[in-house]
Amino acid sequence: MTPVLQVSNLRKSFGGITAVDGVSFEVREGEILGIIGPNGSGKSTLFNCVLGQLSPTEGEVRIDGKPTAGMRPCDLNRLGVSRTFQLLQVFPQLSVRDNLILAGQEHKGTMASRLFGAADAGLGDQASQMIDFFRLGHVAGEPAGSLSYGQQKLLDAAMAFMAGPRLVLLDEPAGGVNLTMLANLRERLQAYHREQKATFVVIEHQMEFVMALCTRVVVLAEGRIIAEGLPQEIRQNPVVIEAYLGH
Amino acid sequence: MASFIQLLVSGLATGAIYALIAVGFTLLWQTSQTINFAQGEFVMLPAFFVLAAMNFGAPFWVAALIAVALSVVILGLMFKAIIVDPMLKHGVLPLVISTIALSLFLKESAKDFYSSQAQPFPALVPPIDLHFLGAVVSLQSLTVLAVAIVTVLALHLLLNNTRLGRMMQATAQNPTLARILGVPVRRMVLYTFLINGALVAIASILISPIYLAKFTNGETLGMAAFLAAIIGGFNQVRGAILGGIILGVLDNLSAAYISSQYRAAFPLIILIVVILWRPQGLLGRLEERTV
Amino acid sequence: MTRLGAVCFAGAVIAALVLPQFLKGYGIYLLSMWAVLTIAALGLNLTLGYAGQVSLAQGAFVGIGAYTVALLMQVGWPFPIAFVCAVVLCFAIGWGLGYPALRVQHHYLAFVTLAFNTLVFLVLRNEEWLTHGIYGVSGIMRPVLMGWSTGKPLAFYYFCLGMLALVALGLWWMIRSPWGRAFVALRENPVRALSLGLDTRRYTLMAFAIGSSLGGVAGALYAPLVQFIEPNSFALGLSFNLLLMVIVGGSGYFYGPFLGALVSVLLPEWLRVTQGYYLIVYAAAIMFMMAVCPTGLFGLAQRAARALRTKRVPALQTERTRP
Repeated sequence: MTPVLQVSNLRKSFGGITAVDGVSFEVREGEILGIIGPNGSGKSTLFNCVLGQLSPTEGEVRIDGKPTAGMRPCDLNRLGVSRTFQLLQVFPQLSVRDNLILAGQEHKGTMASRLFGAADAGLGDQASQMIDFFRLGHVAGEPAGSLSYGQQKLLDAAMAFMAGPRLVLLDEPAGGVNLTMLANLRERLQAYHREQKATFVVIEHQMEFVMALCTRVVVLAEGRIIAEGLPQEIRQNPVVIEAYLGH
Repeated sequence: MASFIQLLVSGLATGAIYALIAVGFTLLWQTSQTINFAQGEFVMLPAFFVLAAMNFGAPFWVAALIAVALSVVILGLMFKAIIVDPMLKHGVLPLVISTIALSLFLKESAKDFYSSQAQPFPALVPPIDLHFLGAVVSLQSLTVLAVAIVTVLALHLLLNNTRLGRMMQATAQNPTLARILGVPVRRMVLYTFLINGALVAIASILISPIYLAKFTNGETLGMAAFLAAIIGGFNQVRGAILGGIILGVLDNLSAAYISSQYRAAFPLIILIVVILWRPQGLLGRLEERTV
Repeated sequence: MTRLGAVCFAGAVIAALVLPQFLKGYGIYLLSMWAVLTIAALGLNLTLGYAGQVSLAQGAFVGIGAYTVALLMQVGWPFPIAFVCAVVLCFAIGWGLGYPALRVQHHYLAFVTLAFNTLVFLVLRNEEWLTHGIYGVSGIMRPVLMGWSTGKPLAFYYFCLGMLALVALGLWWMIRSPWGRAFVALRENPVRALSLGLDTRRYTLMAFAIGSSLGGVAGALYAPLVQFIEPNSFALGLSFNLLLMVIVGGSGYFYGPFLGALVSVLLPEWLRVTQGYYLIVYAAAIMFMMAVCPTGLFGLAQRAARALRTKRVPALQTERTRP
């Protein structure tokens, strides 16, 4: 079975600094892979290379076996890759419902059909389902900018799921969220993963969140993978502990 | 060859004036994100201050000083306090609209309160011609060049060799950091507005003998300011100077050697090319593209 | 739409239909001018207000539209065909003008479009063999549409009003559709939009093309309205004026351009009482307005409506700030 995501010998340098130094890993369908590592280990750079925001200096990224070199983020999205953002990026002036429809509409039909077809691009029901699933029903008509931080995080995740993606990359989803919301967010992500058999890759700092959510963990330090395995193994791995404490 | 030198010298003179206007424009942008669409009218107006003062009996040099002072107060201080400050918190576009409205306001005020006819403006020096390498060069051009160079040098000395100047540069490059380091940012921004007021007044006095004092001068001069600032580099004072000189020389040469009808097109095309291929201009730094 | 909004809308429609019956020639002319300029402002509002692309070239497109129609009719082409040519030409040139927008934004884009506008003006002025240069094109006839002559002021006004209604309907449909959402996404957060599969390039070009073609529609109506056109009418002054209309009415609000164009056309008339100082008063009023309500008249209306609503349901008050 082709892995959903394959990263081979990825290297990214900025001038004299090598942020990602020969990273290779695979993500199989249905996994929740966590990528952790101390600050400056290259997690964000790796993410941006996979997502087409940066082009790698060396190495290859494949989605379902297809190389993604030179693709723009919108092309990758059409291939079935979506993402959430570390710094919240919802559309504050649009309503919650409109944010969700926007998130899915570019996958429906052509540009012309979108102009002359239904105003909601046929996504009205799906948006309602998503709103119910993430328990945002009471704010569905409000402008997204007026939601609380935690609610916007949920909306962010919901938007990433709207297009029914093959692969979802979550960029520090737990950042800045209080504990109650965090449990709620984790529970919703796990429920979505179960019901839709989705594949996630999560970058995170918060160990507890990663350990509770992920099925497998990869540890990055100074641009290289230093450990890989089940959450419990990683937790006790001396190399990993050294990398975190040593900084 | 002789006529080339003549064109070059007069081009340099015009270019030096454009440079003064462009420098003021750039300073305002750098320190307070103000795009002053009324900069052309700022140059048009002080000439009328001079003429009005002379009508009250003041000799030319006194009138000139009065005009500079008025310009600093009205086009510097009042502009900042009444128009820019209240508008900045609303974003760049409302401020742009306001300066467009201001340019209309100043233009119509000059027309209605002084005259709609072009007014002769006293020259700084008598109309003597010098002979240099077989070319005829007017004393006027040389004087303009000299005054402009002195002004730019003075500005350069101020910005680079005084504590005040360095604080102003810090404010231009990184206001937040400057504030943290104890630089009185608001006062520095005020000073750039005052300096612009002085620069436009000097430019006005230099250019009005040639262009005559006309309420429509602002249009061409404003366009020249934008072109010079962008071609040279929107965020660098040195760039504005280079842009102004290039523009002045190009303008004069193209009027002589290229069809005069499309003379204005030449700098516009350069502008488009520069913005598209090197938006930071010839000397500017690449600005972060705002998402 | 709220009940108050519906009432205002109905009142405005009735006024637009009935008022001209009571006006003399000049009044009808002003209203026709309002209708034509609103179309141009609606186009600019799409490009600037909805898609967030700064364009100071809309005046040039009005000019291209006007000259296309005027010159083609002079050589005998019927108005409808000349009209279509004008719109298609403006769409194509507008698409081309969108390419710089892919490279630069905001103030840089403003200067590129400003330069483009001036270049168009220079071509219109200099290429006498084509455009008659500064002598302009005169004697532009008003069209006869399927037997109905629009020659008289009232008839031509209703023609313009009809066109305005069609344009408004088309725009309303577009804004409601996924395209409308896409434009807003383009304005608010292009990075996020990209990551959601939105082809920002295509939508940017489309925003420019459609906005410019509406400028062309306005121009195509402007020529037979004034029946004499010359290059100066389409220089930067018009572009600034249209920009002012969009901002004063409220950038990004659907009905903003209607109000902005009304203010722009009527205010000079009302201010005639100030005996020639009216431009100074107009300019001062704009500056004052920008300081007080930069979101334009419709932004002000929205704030007022929200304030009224909160008195009734305080728990649902949300502070919506425009970026």
